[in-house]
Amino acid sequence: MYTIDWVRIFTRPSATSRRRISRVVWCLGITSFFTDVSSEMVSSILPIYLVSYLHLSPVAFGAIDGLYQGFAAIARLAGGFLADRWRNHKAVAAFGYALSALCRVGLLAGHAWSLVAATIAIDRTGKGIRTAPRDALISLSTDRRDLASAFGLHRSLDAAGAMLGPLVAFVLLSLTHGSFDAIFVVSFCAAVIGVGVIVLFVDGSSKALDASGRASFGATFGLLRIPVFRNLCVAGSALSLATISDSFIFLTLQRNVDFGVQYFPLLYVGVAACNSMFSVPIGHLADRHGRWRTFLAGHVMLLLVYGVMTGAHGNLALLVVLLLSGLYYAATDGVLAASASAELPQHLTGSGLALIATLTNTGRLLGSILFGAVWQWLGLKPAVTLFATGLIASLALAGMLRPSRVK
Amino acid sequence: MKRMFKDTSPRIVFVGLCAVCVALAGGYVVLKRGAAPAAGLDLPVATEIGVVAERPALLFSSAAFDRTNGFLGLVPLHAERPNRYRTELRCDRVHFANGVGLCLAASRGVITTFTAQVFGQDFRVRHSLPLKGVPSRARVSPDGRYGAVTVFVSGDSYSAGNFSTRTTLIDMSTGKAIADLEEFAVTRQGQSFKAIDFNFWGVTFGHDSNQFFATLGTGAVTYLIQGDVADRSARTLREGVECPSLSPDGRRIVFKKRVGTSSWRLHVLDMDALADTPLAETRSVDDQVEWLDDRSIAYGLPATESGGGGSDIWTMTLERDAPRMLISHAYSPVRLDR
Repeated sequence: MYTIDWVRIFTRPSATSRRRISRVVWCLGITSFFTDVSSEMVSSILPIYLVSYLHLSPVAFGAIDGLYQGFAAIARLAGGFLADRWRNHKAVAAFGYALSALCRVGLLAGHAWSLVAATIAIDRTGKGIRTAPRDALISLSTDRRDLASAFGLHRSLDAAGAMLGPLVAFVLLSLTHGSFDAIFVVSFCAAVIGVGVIVLFVDGSSKALDASGRASFGATFGLLRIPVFRNLCVAGSALSLATISDSFIFLTLQRNVDFGVQYFPLLYVGVAACNSMFSVPIGHLADRHGRWRTFLAGHVMLLLVYGVMTGAHGNLALLVVLLLSGLYYAATDGVLAASASAELPQHLTGSGLALIATLTNTGRLLGSILFGAVWQWLGLKPAVTLFATGLIASLALAGMLRPSRVK
Repeated sequence: MKRMFKDTSPRIVFVGLCAVCVALAGGYVVLKRGAAPAAGLDLPVATEIGVVAERPALLFSSAAFDRTNGFLGLVPLHAERPNRYRTELRCDRVHFANGVGLCLAASRGVITTFTAQVFGQDFRVRHSLPLKGVPSRARVSPDGRYGAVTVFVSGDSYSAGNFSTRTTLIDMSTGKAIADLEEFAVTRQGQSFKAIDFNFWGVTFGHDSNQFFATLGTGAVTYLIQGDVADRSARTLREGVECPSLSPDGRRIVFKKRVGTSSWRLHVLDMDALADTPLAETRSVDDQVEWLDDRSIAYGLPATESGGGGSDIWTMTLERDAPRMLISHAYSPVRLDR
């Protein structure tokens, strides 16, 4: 386990070239931590704010959620591509973080439905824009042998923020007699601190990268000609299609273990806590014993989740699912980014990471829609069986495609 | 940025930034916590429904963006200079009949929990029942025997853009759930009718309390159903009806008819002919209306002055005259006549 080395973070990097996680990764992790505290504070109270306070119909809210997903996907591709093109990952990532911070002011500005919808859309866009350039910065400032450790550290801090956000919101609500404005103000301040860290402490001199090529659309899609990267994309997409989303997993558990949907936020907090705890050690394991193996092992955890959620009952099953889900995230999200970025030419790191993230996110979205439909038509058991079969098949495919260069 | 602060080290800038942020956040919280804004708290408090002697009167949930938000309010309907009262009972959705009230309330926390509360003339909660979703509709039968609660069961709602609801009937004397409408035997044209995606919402009770009407949604179709509490059965009457509300004389139903993906137009349905006519309100109404008498209704609409956040209560008659605002900054109207 790492302890936060504050002195090292806020001082210029020393000349020692011992292999350890760079200051850039630490700073990006801290930025993500504050940003996630900020955004999860708001998302945890958003449903009640919209429905109980503004009296907006949840149906209208659900209808445009799909649209936002589309926005985020386009923003992600654009963010990764432009960061490569301008050779300035830091500026694009910081812009994405700043955009989301500004949204908190939007929520304070008024009660109009259109304003609330616009701030949510801009927030998602900001999140989309910053993801790929930030991951590219992590990758470009890390020795290739330590990529999974670096991503593990970043994801651990990120998940810690996601875990704390709802708790901070709760404390604030009880301190201020339920003032939503107080939450938005504090959330804004947390986001500003996050932006401050990336702007002030992250060295963004990506211009010193190898000047071997220039980012273009052709070059971005040409990345799929790199055999190992293509295999990662294919295997990652197949696995993501067979992934049952958290909300469906929790919904299934809700039927077996009797609890209300109002407890869902607490389950997300539990998964984030496990994810945060396991990301760092699993990242180390991945670097030492093989990232691809770790990535596949993560999906075996997911397969176990499918088994437990349909077969078992009671609170113990609930805890086991939270634990396994946390392990699944810790062994897949950062590890895939690490495996992919190890294969990418430096000048296309942002574009490539955006591409694979968009593929896997789209896969998960399609998987969710498919799962919901099969559940409606055929019932829960057939739906889970179908997805478990799909996951086993995807694992087999991924095993065959095992990229030789990725340890 | 670094060039801007050429002479200042980033560390000092950062410490300054953090200080400003902590001061702003901390200061705001202390302000909200200490000097509790008194806006709205100058209204007189009603501890008894009889405090307002005039009848009819209207009970509602306050949608003002001040400290009364979410608390019940009380106002006489026809007084020359109506005094608005506030109460100390907090409800997102409320209904009241024959001395018994049903309040759907949220308690905000790490986990926001929802409860259905049965309360009396004194606004004191007698019974409390946990709910498994976000409150949507509440109704009490005219004799105060039964209550009906519809909640949105979120969680499976956003992946495909549709939603799922659950409707529970409550025995108001004990505060216990007596049935979930999903357990009722439904028939369509005499045939048994069942599908896994059945959703029920928006119950309205007939005069004998045992008969009720509600919406049954399945696939893309919404049916008006007529149900029988004792018999635990229901039959479909016609299609295209949501959130029915039966007039006091039992001759008409006002309902919302879907006219777009998320927009509705109020219509009135004649119960003998089962034929519907659009009402004068042209804005989209997503509410279960409340009858003020046999010819006029009240309903909530997004507040115009704040651009769609918040709510006002509007009223109109069946005679196609223009709707008018009844109470501003209010939600979930309930007529009190006793």
